[in-house]
Amino acid sequence: MKQFGKILKFELKNYAKNKAFVGVTIFLMVVIAIVMFFPRITALFESDDTSNTTADLSVMLVKADDPTQADMVKETFAASFTDYDVQITDEEISVIKNKITSGDVECAFVMNGATSFTYYVNNLSMYDMNPDIATSVLQQIYQMNAMIGGGMSQEDAAGVMSIQIDAEVESLGKDQMQNFFYTYIMIFALYMVILLYGQMVAMSVATEKSSRAMELLITSAKPINMMFGKVLAACMAGLVQLVAIFGSALVFYNVNKSYWGDNGIIDSIFNIPPELFVYMLVFFLLGFLIYAFLYGAISSTVSKLEDINTAVQPVTFLFIIGFMVVMFSMSSGSVDNILMQICSYIPFTSPMAMFTRIAMSTVPWYEIAISIGILVASTFGIGILSAKIYRVGVLMYGTSPKIGNIIKAVWKA
Amino acid sequence: MILELKNIEKSFGEKKVLTGVSFKAEGGKAFGLLGRNGAGKTTSIRILMDVFPANSGEVLIDGQPINYNKIGIGYLPEERGLYPKKIIIDQLTYFAELKGMSHKAAVQSIDYWLGRLGMTEYRNKRLDTLSKGNQQKIQLITALAHDPDIVILDEPFSGLDPVNAMLLKDVVKEQIAKGKIVLFSSHQMSYIEEFCDSIAILNNGVVALHGDLHDIKRDYPRDRLVVRTETPDAIKADFGSSCTVMENGDLMIRLGSPSEKKTTMTRLVENYDIDEVKVFEPSLNDIFVEYAGDVAQED
Repeated sequence: MKQFGKILKFELKNYAKNKAFVGVTIFLMVVIAIVMFFPRITALFESDDTSNTTADLSVMLVKADDPTQADMVKETFAASFTDYDVQITDEEISVIKNKITSGDVECAFVMNGATSFTYYVNNLSMYDMNPDIATSVLQQIYQMNAMIGGGMSQEDAAGVMSIQIDAEVESLGKDQMQNFFYTYIMIFALYMVILLYGQMVAMSVATEKSSRAMELLITSAKPINMMFGKVLAACMAGLVQLVAIFGSALVFYNVNKSYWGDNGIIDSIFNIPPELFVYMLVFFLLGFLIYAFLYGAISSTVSKLEDINTAVQPVTFLFIIGFMVVMFSMSSGSVDNILMQICSYIPFTSPMAMFTRIAMSTVPWYEIAISIGILVASTFGIGILSAKIYRVGVLMYGTSPKIGNIIKAVWKA
Repeated sequence: MILELKNIEKSFGEKKVLTGVSFKAEGGKAFGLLGRNGAGKTTSIRILMDVFPANSGEVLIDGQPINYNKIGIGYLPEERGLYPKKIIIDQLTYFAELKGMSHKAAVQSIDYWLGRLGMTEYRNKRLDTLSKGNQQKIQLITALAHDPDIVILDEPFSGLDPVNAMLLKDVVKEQIAKGKIVLFSSHQMSYIEEFCDSIAILNNGVVALHGDLHDIKRDYPRDRLVVRTETPDAIKADFGSSCTVMENGDLMIRLGSPSEKKTTMTRLVENYDIDEVKVFEPSLNDIFVEYAGDVAQED
């Protein structure tokens, strides 16, 4: 136990002295700070800009053959498109097109009749809602006209058109929309941290082996202490990094809270229910450990640093497949599909799959208990197995041994 | 204190590496473990250090199974290597602490050894800024700093210049004088011959020869004389085919039997101008080639 403590301390010191590790952490904290201060910064600039806003409005042209229609369209469009300076034109379509491509005019609506139009724009943005807005505006005009034409008074027709429906949604289970973002963040953080720190553990083992420091280490310390010391140090370093990044996010968010307004997404991220937070921690730790052990064990069988990537590829693939399954299930909205249910019990995928299901759906407590039980048992199992592989692996030089040979050697040792 | 390996058997997969390996090493004396590459020396050392267990056999200290918590072992591996990018004092302290020392005691002992080996100026430098010989001296400290009961030195002299070799010799003698078991493994026979009282020669995983070096040499048939003279030609003509010229120019005369020693010596001294005549004793090199050399044909 004393030896384990020494190893843990030594490995932790390595992280603290690792310039890349410290640098990346600070860099990410700065990025988070900038993001969190962003609304405050933009608010600062906006207050200066209020005086000259009207002049900067981009021009939207409206062309209609019928002048009464042109007037009505201009009036309603001006009300609907407040970001544009809406102007009527009777120029030729080719002239309008030229104006758009030259940048004088942002976009143009050419009316082909009461219920038909062509929308001209230079680059159609993914988020360009103008045709949709125009469609619904024109629909309303048409409906209004039809109602008035049918004998309704203008007030009655307007009343019908502007009828409000009171809707209330009450979710008895989980609100997927609300939980989506922090589930997404947690899965993504887990993904990043496991790949990053898994590689770091692998590098650390392989470096010791290739520099032959291993010859001395293996005769000075118990392999199980070495393996657990290394992996737990990586785990703690990872946690410190995450706490630093998310902690700074939380602090900076609270500093700038008033500027963020009622942003539901951001709010939901910082309002994780405590029980979910505990699950997050549990799955995060176990998921991290199980993969770090695997990375450590595999890299101990590698003789040259450049062979690490090839050697750890199967583990990385296994992990990415699990990640993909979870991500696709999340975005499809059906997190309880059969694949997710299976993945919830496989120790290599359950940290992501089970957590996602707990966060975005309702899972019976015993299923959670079984999943965590399997995960805890396999984490310990894999930890001990990886220490055994490590002991055999670190003394194997030359070409990477086949999996069968390693298993045989571990079995006999 | 007596360290004893008894009937050690070890296989890696189908390959049998050690077969019935037994030898004894005594405290206050140096023991030489010899053998060609792949003979099983490193495997024996690793079993002795509990890196992996033997398939069967025992490692005993004074007749009792060794207790690794009580018996300290210092090891200078043949494959040298520490952390190249780390500060020397930091990594030396780490290794000493892994062996159970407190931080304070470790630093104290390491500072002593850095001074003893003339390395104090490198204390706070990175290992990879040192020359190979100096790195080796740093590595030697990892084997000695925790004051172990058993010191295992695998090829300790390779890569050292004569001055450093002398320094290491003094250190080794000091360790022997302290009553420690010093176990040497080396291909440089002259050093083994200089230090070791007893040896074991491993050949293909079997102990081919084991015992006190003096006894081994004495047990060789004493049927050859070495003669140093200014007039070799006359002696050669006299003794015919039983006289051969050795590499250094001395003559070797093979006797019909050891009992002819006295008469032959008298005959030489009375008839010729003799500078020196003595019974031929094989060097360790000769013994090694004889006991470990036959593998060459098998390879």
